[in-house]
Amino acid sequence: MAMNSSRRPASLMALVGSLQLMGGTMAQAAPNTFNTALPVAQGQSIWREQLVLRERSDDGPMDREVSVQALGSVLGYGVTSKLAVFGMVPYFFNKDLDVTMPIRPMGRIERDNSGFGDLSLFGRYTLYKKDFTGSTFRVAPVFGLTAPTGDHNDSDRFGELPRPLQVGDGAWDGFGGVVTTYQSLQYQLDGQLLYRENGRHDGFARGDETRFDASLQYRIWPRSMKGVSGTPAFVYALLESNLVHRERDELGSGTDADSGGTQWLLAPGLQYVTRRWIVEGTVQLPVAEDPHGDAIEDDYIVRVGFRRNF
Amino acid sequence: MVKKLTLLLSALIFSMAVLAADNHYVLGVDGLACPFCAYGIEKRLNKIEGVTDVQVDVGESVVRVALQEGKTLTDERARQAVDEAGFTLRSYSQAEGETGDGNEQ
Repeated sequence: MAMNSSRRPASLMALVGSLQLMGGTMAQAAPNTFNTALPVAQGQSIWREQLVLRERSDDGPMDREVSVQALGSVLGYGVTSKLAVFGMVPYFFNKDLDVTMPIRPMGRIERDNSGFGDLSLFGRYTLYKKDFTGSTFRVAPVFGLTAPTGDHNDSDRFGELPRPLQVGDGAWDGFGGVVTTYQSLQYQLDGQLLYRENGRHDGFARGDETRFDASLQYRIWPRSMKGVSGTPAFVYALLESNLVHRERDELGSGTDADSGGTQWLLAPGLQYVTRRWIVEGTVQLPVAEDPHGDAIEDDYIVRVGFRRNF
Repeated sequence: MVKKLTLLLSALIFSMAVLAADNHYVLGVDGLACPFCAYGIEKRLNKIEGVTDVQVDVGESVVRVALQEGKTLTDERARQAVDEAGFTLRSYSQAEGETGDGNEQ
């Protein structure tokens, strides 16, 4: 039996309604799950790759399971010492949905997709900085947009894939916020407040998103800087927090009751930092979730990757 | 007369030898607190004509710069390079034992 998006029940839309991967959080620099206000030198470039494995599920009768494997590629450039611009594009190796359909004889079905997602371009401007010997404090607004570069009308044997399962959403999105950083030789604190307004295309819009992120990085090696000269490699232990609220998705003239909600994630991790490379990994785990209706919830998100400056 | 000429020649040779030596500078840089950030300073300073080596000491918040013979790094140029990297120049001096008028700030 063929199934297309126009005949798909609203509950199926909810299956994948919160299938979002990276938003503007893949960007650059210190924390692993969001941005930082640390500088990119004029004329300096930063290349970053981050592999993301995200698993989502619910305990409902449809036993929904969503799995995403993607690689986020970021290129950053320091236009001036205060203004840095970044481009980010995800490649989805797999966006997969397993669901038990209540309609016989479909039973359990699997739908998946792959390909390049939507390109995000954004800029960060250092509005305030106060440098001390061995530490710094900075505040930097961030503004950007996401262009509909990814395919948004892919199909499988059941017909056109649900919009959230497409690798692109077909709409222009905008986001803006502010990030602040305090960094010393021993530890680093980052905080970010970001709002993302998702555009509408072909009768569908992902719910707008507001997020508050915080991160603590603590240097665990070298344990002391006494007697250490030059530019040694650092190892940081990380603990990041992501509080995310998403509005309901817009469907036609209404909203999808089973989409969006609020979730709080904590992410322990490690970072190995040299003067040219950063190698890092975190696991984001849900601490509290308050989904709208039967919106699907995160099980975990693994992020591993590297950054290279040149 | 010959003795005077010999002394003059010796002084000239000595002066040329001193001028031919690499010039070394020590910059105090505020805001520097991680290895990854250090590269931006290296990159900006290496763009200055005559720079042969840049060594960043993150723990001491200082950057040591070597320039080839006959080249100098002014306070103003050093400040500009550090600013372009996104940091703040705290102090500038020519390394001990070298020629020039060090200007510790």
